[in-house]
Amino acid sequence: MRQWFLGLPGPMPLKVVIAVVVVVVGLVALFFVYDWIGTNMLDSGGTIG
Amino acid sequence: MDDAVVTPTERPASRSIGILTRVVRVVGWTSIVVGVLILGFVVQQLFVTTWFAQQHQTALAEEAEQHFITAEISETEYIPPAPGGTPGNGAVTPGGGGWSTDEQPPMDSERRTLLIESRPETGSAFAIIRIPTIDRLKDGWVVVEGVQLRNLKNGAGHMPHTPLPGMPGNAVISGHRTTYGAPFHELDELNPGDTIEVDTAVGTHIYEVREVIIVRPTELWVTEPRDGAWLTLTTCHPKFSARQRLIVFAELVGGPNWEVIYT
Repeated sequence: MRQWFLGLPGPMPLKVVIAVVVVVVGLVALFFVYDWIGTNMLDSGGTIG
Repeated sequence: MDDAVVTPTERPASRSIGILTRVVRVVGWTSIVVGVLILGFVVQQLFVTTWFAQQHQTALAEEAEQHFITAEISETEYIPPAPGGTPGNGAVTPGGGGWSTDEQPPMDSERRTLLIESRPETGSAFAIIRIPTIDRLKDGWVVVEGVQLRNLKNGAGHMPHTPLPGMPGNAVISGHRTTYGAPFHELDELNPGDTIEVDTAVGTHIYEVREVIIVRPTELWVTEPRDGAWLTLTTCHPKFSARQRLIVFAELVGGPNWEVIYT
């Protein structure tokens, strides 16, 4: 993790911004994947047809 | 310095220990990551979605109360289905049977008026469903118009193209059973004779459960029109699976339109 962070381009403030953006985008993508799996396998809302 | 000398017999053994350590480390980390992802999935599906649904419910409850005050209510003549199956503005059976021979429709001379509200916009809150025998629903759950995924994330959803609750025919309402507040989580605990109440702008419609069945998700017949006034609730079955559907059929037994439809 530390190596990945230090490997990010730019000065330290830019590294922090990039890291935050990457984490947020990753979490949002993960939530979409969770939602897709949940809707298709766990609970589709009970609709018919 | 003799200690540092590795004999030919020790070399393969230490190498395999090194490989084994690496394998154990990779397997260990993979297990931890997979475990965290699964835990995240469970937390997101069971708790985060429910938290969002409850926030929506609070806002939608206010919207529904406002709708009850501002909705336009009108009266329309109720023409029940004829014995031959010719539809009035009431409902006929899927086979077109209309009224049975021992359940004759009223004479044409009888004028009967239904209280109706204008059809709500998709996504808007227009009703509250309450089931006194189910803990989760005894205080009510807001029903929104539409059964798209985005609608059902907010509340139970009324299927468009089916009558509104309290109207003749078959009003269909779907809801989540595991996620997004799981309003229909305990729907399988309903028994024939249990009461379901639906508040709308017209008034409170009281239904009585007639039948609880399990079907495949593709069995559209459960949404088809019926004689009289019915409410059909649909949700996933079994719990934590979208493999089948649990269906509750309930018939109108009280409310502002009951007398018009059934007498």
